[in-house]
Parts: sequence; structure tokens; C-alpha cells
Amino acid sequence: MTALAIAIALAPLAGPAAALAGARARAAGAAQAVGAAAALGCAIALLVLLNGHPPLRGWDGFLYADPLSGFFLLTVSGVTLLAALGSVSYIAAQEDGGELTSFQARVYFGFFGLFAALMLASLETGNLGLLFVLVEASTLASAALVGLEGRARSLEAAWKYVIISSLGVTIALAGTLFLFYSASALHPGSNLALTWPYLLAHAQALAPQSLRLAFLLAVVGYGTKVGLAPMHTWLPDAHAEAPSPASAMLSAALLNTGMYAIIRFLAIAHARLGGTYPRAVLLSFGFASIVIGALFMVRKGNFKRLFAYSSVEHMGIIAVALGFGGTLGLYGALLQVLNHALAKAVLFLAGGDVSLRFKTREATSVSGLLAAVPLTGGALLLASFAVLGSPPFGVFLSELTIVRAGFARGSPAFPLLLLALLGLAFFAFARTTTAMVTGAPPSTTADPAITARNHAVITAIPIVLGLAALLVLGLWIPAGLDSVLRHSAAVIG
Amino acid sequence: MQYLSASSTAGILLDLAGAAILLLAFACLASKLFNRYVVYYGAQSVVLAFAAGTSAAAFHSVELWILAALTLVIKGVAIPVAARRVLIARLAVKRDAAMSTGLSTSLLAGGALTAFAYLVTRPALLPHGTAAAAVVPLSTAVILLGALAMVVRRHTVAQLIGWLIVENGVFLGAITLVATFPFIVEAGIFLDIVAGVLIMVVFVSGITRQLAEASAAELRELRG
Repeated sequence: MTALAIAIALAPLAGPAAALAGARARAAGAAQAVGAAAALGCAIALLVLLNGHPPLRGWDGFLYADPLSGFFLLTVSGVTLLAALGSVSYIAAQEDGGELTSFQARVYFGFFGLFAALMLASLETGNLGLLFVLVEASTLASAALVGLEGRARSLEAAWKYVIISSLGVTIALAGTLFLFYSASALHPGSNLALTWPYLLAHAQALAPQSLRLAFLLAVVGYGTKVGLAPMHTWLPDAHAEAPSPASAMLSAALLNTGMYAIIRFLAIAHARLGGTYPRAVLLSFGFASIVIGALFMVRKGNFKRLFAYSSVEHMGIIAVALGFGGTLGLYGALLQVLNHALAKAVLFLAGGDVSLRFKTREATSVSGLLAAVPLTGGALLLASFAVLGSPPFGVFLSELTIVRAGFARGSPAFPLLLLALLGLAFFAFARTTTAMVTGAPPSTTADPAITARNHAVITAIPIVLGLAALLVLGLWIPAGLDSVLRHSAAVIG
Repeated sequence: MQYLSASSTAGILLDLAGAAILLLAFACLASKLFNRYVVYYGAQSVVLAFAAGTSAAAFHSVELWILAALTLVIKGVAIPVAARRVLIARLAVKRDAAMSTGLSTSLLAGGALTAFAYLVTRPALLPHGTAAAAVVPLSTAVILLGALAMVVRRHTVAQLIGWLIVENGVFLGAITLVATFPFIVEAGIFLDIVAGVLIMVVFVSGITRQLAEASAAELRELRG
């Protein structure tokens, strides 16, 4: 099992290795995709071995994996595979078109693989200090992706991203410090004692006041990475300016990694402080994010910003679901993590294809996608309805679960508010995307069907894969996944 | 986990170093000239290295000695020198470190944040009579002051150094309890900071080339 865990974190480095060896975008992308597929395979194998068995521990607690880690490993490595496949066509097209130099393409794959590897590694550690180190390192690796294009706008976005996220994660480190202080009564003597499983097992001996502060700092700190309002300000810029497959990685993998860190702190806080305090914190940040996300989606403009604000909204929904708590709420939150990741990856990849063909990221300049490029247009339409929670896709199922969990908690006010906000988000988001998909294609564009014809097949693969997975999850949750979700929810308590 | 008692020599030295670090954070906040700002940051890091050395001597920890030396060399000397040489000289950054609020306003805010740090961390959080109980409020205040410097300074380089002040505050908190962070983690944090500085410098020079002046005040194309 240890070998599997190591393989998961190392496999995505195939892309950087190829890039270092001087491969062009297509070859480096293929290596990246193979590496990501290997990571996904290992993650599934690890999950099968972990499910219902004692967690994997090793190296003085630095290595730790339970079903919750396994579930996030599955999500992140799956997204990495989709984004790597998407990168092959997107970056190769940009390299062929002269928009990126071959050096930039190599830098892209160098940091893409590093970013994925660091995120996967951060999901496998039990030491909360090391968790910080890996999350911060993944921030830095992804900042290089955001600033890749080197224009004034992308540098501005990268600067905002790196400075806000670094500060945020440093605040999470202060939270980790206070968590360790709260454990002073335990007189822990070794590294093992400062790991998550030990702290959870000895939660009753933690000092409550210091733990409260630790939990709040962790939610604010890692919440910056998750994109919870009001710490979300870096998110729309970074998502809009990064190359589209990198945006998919940010939205569908990075935000979830931050959420994973919050869940670890939540488990300890819940065990010691009971439900009231963590619930208040998570519901406040969650609803703030949903409101901000939904309101900013109303404006028409850059469609990648629209997708980004939808991510803010969905991270808010997940935080609210964690706040509702109970088995149902936690189950819904985790299912939402997976479904949102798939839907958002498909949206950004389809959006990337649109921006390649139309040479614009403005929603108002795009129309008639269904007529011009049926596959991308259709995928964009289906994925937007999927992300908004329409049946028969997976997000519908998870949001239904979350609302049910809210009603099960007693007060109907919160789930009703959630439903109203989801309605607003639906209107705001669908208004823009349906206008992009329907109508006649703009005549000014230089025949969008031809521009990227060489990449049609490879572009379609990740989009179709993602949509298929999303549809399956909406109709049927495999028994294995169901049991993983139940075991993970039990970890949180 | 071992504790330093507040009345031991090492405890007193740590407390004094913490107070000096807080004062230097205020000095950073108040300095008008870029050179001074960078020098105060370097001085703060030197005091931090001294604090780490004190802690290392008290706990007989080789790893802490290594960290103290790294702090002295990288944060105390290399980063300030590089900031002055590379960024200020080569990129012709203006000598005046512009602020978006008045000096007195930011100092008042800094005082309020320090009081807030004591309010939040003082009561019954930590075992009484330990050095940590004295130093943690100081380090929390340094974290908040660094964040304030990031907010009020307009220049990208000044914001970067604000982040490093925040890191110094966290590090000060971390060294008062020795077993808190294993060496791998401390070393990893260090590596992150160095990598962070490097990547930020790349962005700063890119922005400088594009805008002629790397002032975050000019960074307002992306909104909403």
C-alpha cells in the first residue's frame, strides 16, 4: 500500500520529466496524460484496499491515508487526467499557433505535473505541518501556470493569486500552530503525536479556547485557497487568466484540496467542541460565498470568470453542507466535491476549446456554438445544466442530498435560503451560457470550425469522458463509491 | 513537549527578542523610505535568528541551530541584500515606499491590531508561566502587522516583504515550543518561503517591465 501511495504522488511527474527532456507540447502532454492515468489507477487501487480496512500509516505519521484521503485522491487524480488530456490539444494548438513559445509550453507541463504531484501528496500526509508545506508549494507551482502567458493581465492575476493565497495559507499555518498549542496538555513527545489521527483520538484533552481559534484560522486560511467569500478575490482573476486546462485544475482540484484540509480541522473541532461552533463558522462562510458567487454571475462578460464565480458558489454549497453536518450532510458534501469537480473540468475544457476557436473569452462575442461546433457547444450546454443541478446529472443528486440534510437539522430557513440562491444562480449562469450556445455563429470569425480541426478528436476525449462520468453519477452511485462515501463521512464524525 | 519557563534566562531572552521583533515590525510599517523598510526587515530576521539560537541552546537541539543559521543567512542577509541590489537598483524602483493610507492611520491601526492580538491570545490559552505564554501574543501581533503592511503598501516588493514579516511572526511562535514542528516541516516551510520569494520576484520583474513601475496601485485592470 505504501508503494501505491508513493506511486500516486510520483506518477504525475512524468509530464515534467518529458518537458525537461525537451519534448514538444504534444509529446509532453501525452506523457502527462499517461502519468495522470497511472495516478488514477493507483488511487482506485488504494481506495479499494483502504475501504473498510484500517488506514495506511507510515514514516512517523508523515504518511497517512484513510478512505477520506482516498476519495479526494480519486477526485484530484481524475481531474488531473481530464485536464492533462485537455492540455494536449490546448497547449499544442497554442504552440502551433505561435501564441506560446515552445519554452512556455515546456514550462507549462513542468509546473502542471509538479502542481498535480504536490496536491496528491498533500492528501496523503497525516502531519498537519507537512500538509501546510505541500499546500503552499502547490500554490507556488500553480502560480506559474496562471502567469504563463506573460501578458500584463496574466501577471497581475498571478501576482494577486500568489500574494493572497500565500498570506492565506500562512494564516492556516498559524491555525495549525494554535492546534498544536491546544494539545499542550497532552505533553506529546514525538512527531507521531502531532499528526491528525493522534489529535483526533485525543481530542477530549485539547484546550477548547485555543482549538476554537485554531479552527477559525484554518477555515480562513485554507478557505482562501478554497475560494470562500470574502477571501475569494484572487479566484476569478486567476481562473480567467490561466490557460483553460490549468483553470480546470485550479477549480476542480486545487479548491478541493483546500476543502480537504478544512475537513481535517473540522473533524478535530467537531470531536472536541461539538457541532454548534463549527456549524456557525461554516454556514457563515458558506452562505457568504453562495451569495457572492450568485450575484457576480449575473453580470455578462468573460465566460471563464462566470465559471470561476460558479466555483465560489459551489465551494459555498459544500461548506454549507459540512455545516449542516450529520451523515447525510457529509455524504452530500463529498458527493458534491466529486460532481462539481467533473462538471467544472468539462466546462473549462469546453470553454478552452471555444476560446481557441473564437479567439475571445468574452461571452457576448460568442454565439451559435451548437451550429458551428456541435460537440463543444453541446458539451458546454450539458455541462452548464449539470453544474447548475439539473437532473439527470450528478450535481442534482448531491444538492438534493444537501437540502435534505438541511431540513433534517430542524430549522427550514437555511435549506430554503439555499434553494432560493440556487435558483438565482441557475438563472444568472444559464442566461449567459444558453446565449453562447444558441443563435447563429458570428460571421466575423475566421471560420471557427477550421481553426482547430487538427485537434478535434483529442479535444473531445476528456469532455466526453467527464460528461459520461457525470451522467453515470446522476443515475447510479456504484456500491463501492457509496461505501467509500459512508466510511469517509464516518471519519468526520 | 518541553516548555521553557518564562523566568529562565532563555525564556527572558526569548521574550525580549519577541518584543524587539514587534518593534521592528512597527518600524517597517512606519518607514517612509524603501531602503529603511528593507533594512528593518533584515534586522527583524537577525533578531529572529537570535531567538531561534536561544531556543536551540535551551533545548540542545541541533536542528534548531541549523534553522537559526538558515534564518540569519537567508532572511537576515540574502533577501534584504537581494531586495536592495536587484529590485531597487536594477529595476529602478522608486525610493519612496508609497502607502495607501497616512502614516498615522496605519500606526494607529497597528496599535489596535497589537491590542487585539493580546485580547485574543492572552486569556487562558496557554499554560501559565511558560515562555510561550509571553511570546505567542507578540508573534500574533507581528503576523497581523505584516498583514497590515501588505494591505497599506502599494508596491509589489513592499507587499512581498509584508508577507515575509508574517512568516517571521509564525516562525517566532513556532520556535517557542520546540517539539511542535518536526525538522522536515520547518525545513519545508523554509524551502517554501525561498521558492515563494523567487517566483514572486519573477512576477515583480515581469510586472515592472510591463508597467514601468511595479506598483500594485497600477494593477487594476481585473475587477469584479
